[in-house]
Amino acid sequence: MLVKKLTKGAKVLSYEMWTEKYRPRSLDEMIDQEEIVQRLKSFVKEKNVPHCIFAGPPGTGKTTAALCLAQDLYGSGYQEHLMELNASDERGINVIRETVKTFARTKAMGEVPFKILILDEADNMTSDAQQALRRTMERYTETARFILIANYSSRIIEPIQSRCAPFRFTHLPEDQIRKRIEYIAEQEEVAVTEDGMKAIIDLGGGDLRRTINILQTAASTGKPIDEETVYSVVGRANPADVREMMLTALNGDFIKAREKLRELLLKYGLAGSDILGQIHNEVFRLSIPENWKVKIIEIIGETDYRLMQGSNEEIQLSALLAKFVEAGEEIKRES
Amino acid sequence: MHVPWTFKYKPKTLSEVIGNEDAKKKILKWIKEWDENPPEKRALLIYGPPGTGKTVTVEALAHDLDMELVQSNASNYRTADAVQRFAGRASRYGTLFGKKRLILFDEIDGITGSADRGGLRVITQIIKKTDSPIILIANDAYNPRFSTLRKFCQLIKFKRLRKTQIARLLAKICTMEGIQADPEALKLIAERANGDVRAAINDLQALAEGKKRLTFDDAAWLRSRDRKEEIFNVLRRIFYAGSVRSALRAAQETDVDLDMLLEWIYENLPYHVKDPKELASAMEMIALADVYRGRIATTQNWSLMRYYLDFMTAGVSASWSRKSHGWTPFRFPSRIATMSRSKAERGMLGEIGLRIGRRCHISADRAAKDVIPFLRLIFQINPEMRKGLARWLGLNEDMVNYIIGKDQ
Repeated sequence: MLVKKLTKGAKVLSYEMWTEKYRPRSLDEMIDQEEIVQRLKSFVKEKNVPHCIFAGPPGTGKTTAALCLAQDLYGSGYQEHLMELNASDERGINVIRETVKTFARTKAMGEVPFKILILDEADNMTSDAQQALRRTMERYTETARFILIANYSSRIIEPIQSRCAPFRFTHLPEDQIRKRIEYIAEQEEVAVTEDGMKAIIDLGGGDLRRTINILQTAASTGKPIDEETVYSVVGRANPADVREMMLTALNGDFIKAREKLRELLLKYGLAGSDILGQIHNEVFRLSIPENWKVKIIEIIGETDYRLMQGSNEEIQLSALLAKFVEAGEEIKRES
Repeated sequence: MHVPWTFKYKPKTLSEVIGNEDAKKKILKWIKEWDENPPEKRALLIYGPPGTGKTVTVEALAHDLDMELVQSNASNYRTADAVQRFAGRASRYGTLFGKKRLILFDEIDGITGSADRGGLRVITQIIKKTDSPIILIANDAYNPRFSTLRKFCQLIKFKRLRKTQIARLLAKICTMEGIQADPEALKLIAERANGDVRAAINDLQALAEGKKRLTFDDAAWLRSRDRKEEIFNVLRRIFYAGSVRSALRAAQETDVDLDMLLEWIYENLPYHVKDPKELASAMEMIALADVYRGRIATTQNWSLMRYYLDFMTAGVSASWSRKSHGWTPFRFPSRIATMSRSKAERGMLGEIGLRIGRRCHISADRAAKDVIPFLRLIFQINPEMRKGLARWLGLNEDMVNYIIGKDQ
């Protein structure tokens, strides 16, 4: 609050990550995901929340929705009724047994008779921990409701899935992202040219957190943000590139293509499904025979389905790259 | 609660530390000299292989003599500045309640040239004028980087423990855990540990925790577990099998963890299978194995295991015609290698990630991947934002420098 006042009075540089500064504080402030927001609002109205799974790609508002739900439900002292755990940081079975249990079994004070436990990146939990969680969820349903957040809901064991209301978050549409970015730019008094705006949205790839981070990084240059600034910023944060990886494979170098894939996944943290989406976009722009494009699309589709089912991203995408190598070889032979 | 036995049965007093009696006596004698005047060498350099009791000896000593132990290990950042901050004052002034102080630099092998620039130099300077005893611990005292430092230290060597010493300790732990253990089983564990007590206790816990009895057969599988030679053998048999059945048998007959085996096959396959068509087919088999692994994990239906095994062995083997390309060495899976980065680096990056994560509602991992690349640019471009954001995120100077310097 203090920060807000300061920025309004005089132009003071903002010292927060904008992803946090502009994170919605209430379901009313959330953009898009309308159906989900409607259902969550009805939970608030009835003062009853089932166990939930929020699944979807990064930067689509899953954590925000969970936090907003808690704030709308409990009001200003919401922190007392809320526990936020990140399964990637504390994924062991002991956290579930100890921390979660301790939180879950004490009764909530106030007019809402239960507390909320947000378990972020739940798909990174070991299946042992998930089994333990399942029992905890059952035993303490009276006093605690769980919101599990995951990129892929299929990596969550079925017994838990069947106890939760599923919510599927999708990539935010471009016009909604644009509105949000324009709003933040205005608040922060940064000038963004039209081509700069397009570049930010493009490179953000439907991931709002990433898009806002690009905006803030470009803004740190202190100059009006145009296309060139954006590309130089993201280029330096993200040198490896999906198209380059595909061409490397088509040229027959599988090992190098796999290295690029690892770089994208591990170092730059792209989700497998996003890489797949970009591969799909590129296929029709490649200069390879038409019949091969269709063959490749078929494999991409199958790979996509496997990822949704919870298979390992690197192994599945590597198998796809091996197909590119095969395609490249046959194309060479045909011509 | 799961408590590591190495922690649960950690010696508290010097008399409980097993082995290396001579070394312990020398340390005690040196410490006693401080009661009069600082001895000629104001620091000890204790060195020896892992798991021989170097650190616990120092901790037990401080406990027995009622000294305040100030310690720094590889998970701390150890640049010149950091060392100065940590030990500079401590070495010159007494403690608040008149206790004597003992300064310990553990794992100094881990003080690296780049990340901890100048750390060793400052340690040497501090030793020259310290008023409190300083102990350094390393695996290899004769590393050339320690040549200057060594001149100011008395060297004390810790040796690997004897098999019988370790076996006796294991027997004691079993008694306290209420486990009836076959002496032959304990001997085998002790032998496999090769003088490393920590490894032996960890193995014992893995094999025996929660059991009433520990038999020789229980311990026997230690012999082959995850050993490199064993893995190479299985890989060789799968990649160059005469038939799909012998490929399958290679995996069935081994104790190597199957998930681990899949990583090894996945890593090494492209170095052996060169024909694009065959490579694509073999990679598809690995991908199918992975699909089944996923199905097993979600459904918890372990009868699907057989298909997992079939695809990764027979499937891969049947995909290619094995024209020999000469000798191709096997490579360690890089997916596993990235997990075993140096303790110090993991510690730093992890801590930064956690701090960002706490502010931004994400995991340390995701913070490292999603936020740090952008943060690095902002820090490089705009000093004012760097200061403000660092404060808001709770990052100290070392962390900021780490973010700016890394990968550049």
